[in-house]
Amino acid sequence: MSLMALREQLNGLVNSMFLEGLLDDQFEQLQMLQDESSPGFIAELITLFCGDSERILAELTKLLDQAVVDYQKVDAFVHQLKGSSSSVGAQHVKLACVQFRQFCEEHNKEGLKGIYFFRCLRALNVVKHEYYLLRGKFDTMLQLEQRIQAYESKQQI
Amino acid sequence: MEEVKEEGEEMDVNDCGGGGLEVVRVLVVDDSPVDRKIVEMLLRRSEGIFDVVSVDSGKKAMEVLGLNEIEAKPPNHDDQKIDIVLTDYCMPEMTGLDLLKAVKANSSSRSIPVVMMSSENDSERISSCRAIGAEDFILKPLQVKDVQRLRTYTVPIGPMSKRGSKRKLPMALIAESNGAEARPLLAKVAAFGSAVFLTLNFWRSSVMSSSCN
Repeated sequence: MSLMALREQLNGLVNSMFLEGLLDDQFEQLQMLQDESSPGFIAELITLFCGDSERILAELTKLLDQAVVDYQKVDAFVHQLKGSSSSVGAQHVKLACVQFRQFCEEHNKEGLKGIYFFRCLRALNVVKHEYYLLRGKFDTMLQLEQRIQAYESKQQI
Repeated sequence: MEEVKEEGEEMDVNDCGGGGLEVVRVLVVDDSPVDRKIVEMLLRRSEGIFDVVSVDSGKKAMEVLGLNEIEAKPPNHDDQKIDIVLTDYCMPEMTGLDLLKAVKANSSSRSIPVVMMSSENDSERISSCRAIGAEDFILKPLQVKDVQRLRTYTVPIGPMSKRGSKRKLPMALIAESNGAEARPLLAKVAAFGSAVFLTLNFWRSSVMSSSCN
């Protein structure tokens, strides 16, 4: 595949992510920070985000698996993920976290604890779904970027 | 802040960012690696004005500031001399608020401006931070304009340094950069200082040009 075709594919992918709402303006702001002096900024940031998100999702899964759920800790982790997804521009993940936090706040309602537990569990699954959907597209984005950089390096030789 | 600026290090070309500005050393405190990376990049992209030290906890921030010992380190510890602290509010164990209180409670660090960051636009949180002495409260995610106005919190108000070897940005430009609408008194003082500075420079250049002729 030619360099131009690779670039078109990458642009098409990123544009579709914006159109689908997976990414918002914040991601565009971050793209503008990348330049020749820091060509790997976006890739590094995405890698950091994915690593951190998966750590948090693992913690949340463990917490909701306990006999007695510590909703304060659950909320703290969801808050963290909401923050990092907002900072990166991962809009759908952020919105799923916002919904999750609302269920965490409601969990203590008398007589409805069981219902809210399952709502939290479902909210976690929604967050995971949104995250892994995004993660798949990020993986493709990074692969395309690596191929483009390899192509450009060869051309310079 | 005036203490740090009047320490009188000889001007080093390498210490000056673009346009002759002094480099401002920022201590970034945030437990989120994503947010740290973004803030570091925003600061580094600001035309060489900022030098960044970043840590992932309030406890480590205390170490950098020399506040984690019974006897605080003297303020002239050049390796880690911090001009401004930019800290997240929500952090485990030691929150940004705890860090703010610790900085303002200690005589060796009290003058260091502390700016808070948070993803929550909570008016009570904001006012309690300001009451303790936070310079500003910035909503995450940070933008370029948020970082640019950090510099305004590190410029001393009042007479220029007697040592005179440091080149400083005229106060008028700093006052224009941001925050003037939220800090009208500071803006007025800065504008007055700017007028004095420009008048003195005009007079000096007039004298020099007439003596050359």
